Amino acid sequence: MTQTPTVRSAAKAGASQSLPGLTQLFSAHQVTVDPVELITYEIDAGMDRGHPTGVFYPESTADVSRLLEWATATGTPLIARGAGTGLAGGAVAEQGGIMVTFARMNQVTALDVAARTATVQVGMVNLAFDALVKEHGLYYPPDPSSGRSAVIGGNIGANAGGPHCFKYGVTTNYVTGLEAVLANGRVVQLGHAAADAPGYDLLGVLVGSEGTLGIATHATVRLVRNAPGVKTMMVAFATDEQAGEAVSAVIAAGLVPATLEMMDQRIMRMIEAYAPVGLPVNAGAGLIVEVDGYPGSLDEQMEEVADILTAHGGYDLRLAQSEAERAQIWYGRKSAAGAVSRLAPAFYLVDVTVPRSTLAPVLAGVNQICDRYALAVGHVFHAGDGNLHPIIPFDPRDADHKARVLHACHDIVALALEYNGSITGEHGVGIEKRAYMPMMYGGAELSAMLDVKRLLDPDSLLNPGKIFPAHVPDADYAAPVELAGDAAHSVLTPATAEEAAALLAGLTAARRAVRIRGAAAATLTPTPNPTAKPTAGPAAPVWLSTEKLAGVSALAPADLYVTVGAGTRLEALQAELTVHKMTVPFVAPWPDITVGGILARNLNAPNRLRAGSVRDNVMAMTVALADGRVLRLGRPVVKNVAGYDLVKLFIGAHGSLGVIIDVTLKLVPQARARRTFVVDVPSVAQGLAWAAQSAAQWFVTTAVVLTANSAADGAADSAADTAYRLRFTLEGLAADIEAEVAELAAALAQTGATLSPADSQSSTSEIADATEAWRIFLAGADGDAIRVRVGMPSMQLGAFWDDLPAPLRTGLPWCFDAGNHLAYTMLTGDAATCAQQLARVRESAEWLGGYAAVTDLPASQNDTDLDRWGAPPATLDIMRGLKACWDPQGILNPGAYVVD
Amino acid sequence: MTTSNTTLSDTTTSDTTISSTPASSTAVGSFAAAGLLDNEPVRDLLSQCIHCGLCLPACPTYQVFHTEMDSPRGRIALVQAAADGRIEIEGTFQSHLELCLGCRACETACPSGVQYGAIYEVAREAIEETRTVSRRERLLRRLALRELMPHRGRLRAMARLMKVYQALHLSPLVQRLSFLPGKLRFMEQLMPRLPMGFPDYSRPAPALGRKRGEVACLVGCVQDAFLSGVNAATVRVLQRNGYEVHFPQTQTCCGAAQLHVGEGDLARDLARRNIDACADRDYVAIISNAGGCGATLKQYAHLLEHDADYAPKAAAFVARLQDISEFLADNLHVPPTASLPLTVTYVDSCHLRHGQKVVQQPRRLLAAIPDLNVVELRQPDMCCGSAGVYNIVQTETAEQVLDAKMADVTGTGAQVVVTTNTGCHMQMIYGVKKAGMDAEVVHLVELLDRAYRAGENPPRAGERINV
Repeated sequence: MTQTPTVRSAAKAGASQSLPGLTQLFSAHQVTVDPVELITYEIDAGMDRGHPTGVFYPESTADVSRLLEWATATGTPLIARGAGTGLAGGAVAEQGGIMVTFARMNQVTALDVAARTATVQVGMVNLAFDALVKEHGLYYPPDPSSGRSAVIGGNIGANAGGPHCFKYGVTTNYVTGLEAVLANGRVVQLGHAAADAPGYDLLGVLVGSEGTLGIATHATVRLVRNAPGVKTMMVAFATDEQAGEAVSAVIAAGLVPATLEMMDQRIMRMIEAYAPVGLPVNAGAGLIVEVDGYPGSLDEQMEEVADILTAHGGYDLRLAQSEAERAQIWYGRKSAAGAVSRLAPAFYLVDVTVPRSTLAPVLAGVNQICDRYALAVGHVFHAGDGNLHPIIPFDPRDADHKARVLHACHDIVALALEYNGSITGEHGVGIEKRAYMPMMYGGAELSAMLDVKRLLDPDSLLNPGKIFPAHVPDADYAAPVELAGDAAHSVLTPATAEEAAALLAGLTAARRAVRIRGAAAATLTPTPNPTAKPTAGPAAPVWLSTEKLAGVSALAPADLYVTVGAGTRLEALQAELTVHKMTVPFVAPWPDITVGGILARNLNAPNRLRAGSVRDNVMAMTVALADGRVLRLGRPVVKNVAGYDLVKLFIGAHGSLGVIIDVTLKLVPQARARRTFVVDVPSVAQGLAWAAQSAAQWFVTTAVVLTANSAADGAADSAADTAYRLRFTLEGLAADIEAEVAELAAALAQTGATLSPADSQSSTSEIADATEAWRIFLAGADGDAIRVRVGMPSMQLGAFWDDLPAPLRTGLPWCFDAGNHLAYTMLTGDAATCAQQLARVRESAEWLGGYAAVTDLPASQNDTDLDRWGAPPATLDIMRGLKACWDPQGILNPGAYVVD
Repeated sequence: MTTSNTTLSDTTTSDTTISSTPASSTAVGSFAAAGLLDNEPVRDLLSQCIHCGLCLPACPTYQVFHTEMDSPRGRIALVQAAADGRIEIEGTFQSHLELCLGCRACETACPSGVQYGAIYEVAREAIEETRTVSRRERLLRRLALRELMPHRGRLRAMARLMKVYQALHLSPLVQRLSFLPGKLRFMEQLMPRLPMGFPDYSRPAPALGRKRGEVACLVGCVQDAFLSGVNAATVRVLQRNGYEVHFPQTQTCCGAAQLHVGEGDLARDLARRNIDACADRDYVAIISNAGGCGATLKQYAHLLEHDADYAPKAAAFVARLQDISEFLADNLHVPPTASLPLTVTYVDSCHLRHGQKVVQQPRRLLAAIPDLNVVELRQPDMCCGSAGVYNIVQTETAEQVLDAKMADVTGTGAQVVVTTNTGCHMQMIYGVKKAGMDAEVVHLVELLDRAYRAGENPPRAGERINV
């Protein structure tokens, strides 16, 4: 014991010498290099360990920026750390370096209740934040079990999930902006206050990057209305398998409970010993089902769920009788890991995800694996989204015991991959699973991730050694296909990803520009701007069509996913899904648009208010890069945090980064009921104001659209006070819709507005749906119209409208997606007038923090020098760097996008 | 006056020696101390911790510093490192362990059942082992722990002196002239307004109405002298609910302060005296009204487990020991009926909440007072910084902990701050003053007592109510 040299303080160890200038750069209370104190930073909640060289406590973004400049100058690694509750070693200083711990940056810096958005410093504690927004009737859904301590920054690094993510999605679905510092000290704002702003989704890649790409200091998150009511039920099952089948049956019935949490007997007994919350400890498995909604719908929902569960072997159904009882159940569930440690000195908490319908065989497989290694195992998991958490107790002092646990973990990961799952659903890769990365991804995907890493952190200073295995396998590059001379006049139609990659590699070698299109109609393709200087060679661009990449290759209604070729027409896909009472929440104004087209354009309809935007509905994607690599990214599971989320980059990239081959989309059960209600309004300003005033009530409201009345139903001259029509579409259970409509009507009545059901309108041609009104508006444009989308920060549409000169207000047609703060208009006429009008619209939008982008240029305007995108994103140089990595000759859709 | 003040406060004051102990003088002590940590029982305690970090938000010092070494998880890591021989007891280890308030809020938060209190006690013992205690400190300790606290008469005499001091309005003068050294000037501010007289404990107080049983009342040491109204109210409320209140005559200080500084033998001696004192009758309950004392009193069985003679007696004693709020919550036979339309907030005593796990009973009693508007704190599980003598030893940190607490307390808009422990009571008196809050600080039983009295104007004649 006394052999180990002991230390008492920094002075004795002389550690500060290894950190030249750091202690001078910051005040004493912001830095510690005392080796005794550093011992307390060696661990997080996992099993890995490393002694940092120092710990830094930033109090501002500027502090972090100065630290990064220093780190770059001295070549010192940095490890961002939240509360140290991670289980994968993501915040362990394995290679030494400075721990950047954000506990002191724990404030909410902005909370806009009406706009349902907040900006927090990344050290804000997850649960404290949720409690705070709940006081305002709002809800922040990501709820990891560590949420009592874990901070938002750490949640972002790991793209954390939690029980309620089954219904509400994971962290990345809620982060709309990040203030982050890059390795060179540069402070960047990622994301935009307005939806769908032009530019690659760098934000989407930073979320879940485990602090390896940049260090976030502030996050802007979107909030949802807190459910007006919630009911929680505990149900017992004889076996795990039965419970798993019951869960699948609930989902197959088109029900979307807020949670479906499962525990096996062993875990329930351990929890019960710590927190006697009344778990059915004699049953083989227990299921926590929670439904939310208006009080009027809860009983009905619960009854239906209960019927299904009972039919599948559920018994001993117990409803939490009070909020306290409900809180107790969750407290017990979230204490599972800790409760286990009462019985064993340590445990390994495995985290893998599989498509949910395979839960039963995978559970059996995990049990077999643990039997094989003579290990005990308990199960607690998010059954709704197929996220398993086998808990294996062991004694770390027993080397053989520990080795068997690690072997078992390896085999469990392999098993999950066999079932098309992911090596990690929510804990992250960190140190723990980096060696498993090549089991899930090949050289192409890993090298593409490394491209992003090298672009943003060339010296590998940020959390070095994490995520990536020590040895990354070589990527396969498709052999370039030499194109015949007359290829310029033909259309390339690859039928597979490999074929597409070979063609693209050939074009890259020949430096030939290529334009990508889905269907035949030219208007569906983002039109290249011919005046932009093509970086590719002088030859005329060729066309690449995805028409042969069509059709559904996997449809799994029980697992709520569909895999479909990029060239599949949306209409065809929806028709096929309807048979299964499923849908994808996409709507487009053009009948011929393909799934790939929707993704490339990031085409979001007003119904995304509830369903989420395109990026929130894509689970996996195959992409061919211009350099010949084929990336197969993601898995058909809703929770997957293995490596960087590169899928996000291709959504809305207008085909400028790669060619989308196929995608796996989330399926949504068709709504039980859909109702639309309308308010006739005298003016746009009034309509926008009324929409904003009703926003606090939106819970099952899925779309809110304001259009001119005449445009909607063709009436020649509407009375002045009914010139515009505001439509609210609500979807879900009839009881919820009824309750919400009553609330909306009451809120609107206070301002003198009258809400009436759409089907009571006299006109037979009345549009029955808000999203449909938007669709008709955009589809109805004449062929020569330039379509413009204006995106505004939350609740700023009214201000934008006020700022717009009268001639543009009355002279142009307008449609407002009031739920998502977007406005649409169309410009017609001569090029000069169009350019002038666009500039003026853009001026109003940009000065209020929004943007105005041209989404479609007609063929007749092809020679215009119209500025399609407006002010370039501040991170344009990074986007260009990324494009240069993956499309080195700039052959993909040159001139078609803001990143050129 | 100054002398007595010093003595009281210095029951455990040790800051002067901590910082000035020469590093070289500790080799022997350090060795012995490491032995205290490097053994199976301690390793078992340590191995319970899975470092999940769920304790962090519950820890008052983590909330102030946001540093891992001032969190329960960090302190456990330090104890582990010391047990492994990686670090010395002296220096950094010692300073971070001493910053711990010992509130044990982390135990309530811990899903793994880590007995932090036990780990902390061993670590404090190891620190004591390495420390060279100065002659001055030894003298002060002796005075406070042996000569003052166990003697009710001496404490009361000191309180009378303080009363004179208060009556002469010397306080502003003393504060302005910086007449007292920093610590004492700080302590002077904790002083409540002292009562004119003290309760009479020489004979039992009879039950009012139907007699339901006899209880023993432990009157404490510091509380009796400086907050004697609390004891008086305790007695009256028990009487009203039909209990004859006895004051075991040979009772003494509970021994908490002595234990805290590692004077285990002295504490065990006091424990035996209290156990003997309460063996005089068959009480339905032995009542303590201070959360901190109660936590120690309930430890007697553990404290005397190796004393063959006293172990069973201690177990019997502990079985009957109840905090006043525990007892009343089950035995409020005559609830107050008159309206007390006040806005109040309840400040949990850590030793009551986390140590004794008494959480709901005080709240139920408050709910029994008609028209009382009780506003819960946002973080009711957070320590106020009093923590025994912590506020006197670690004044700066305690001030920060208190500031955070007072932000919470002030936010309730309470007219009355309700406590259940002597240290918290005095800390709240200071906190209310410091925060510029217009609120009164009372013990829970004082509020109950007031609620009863509110219904009696004039008080009922012909019935003797003690004091």
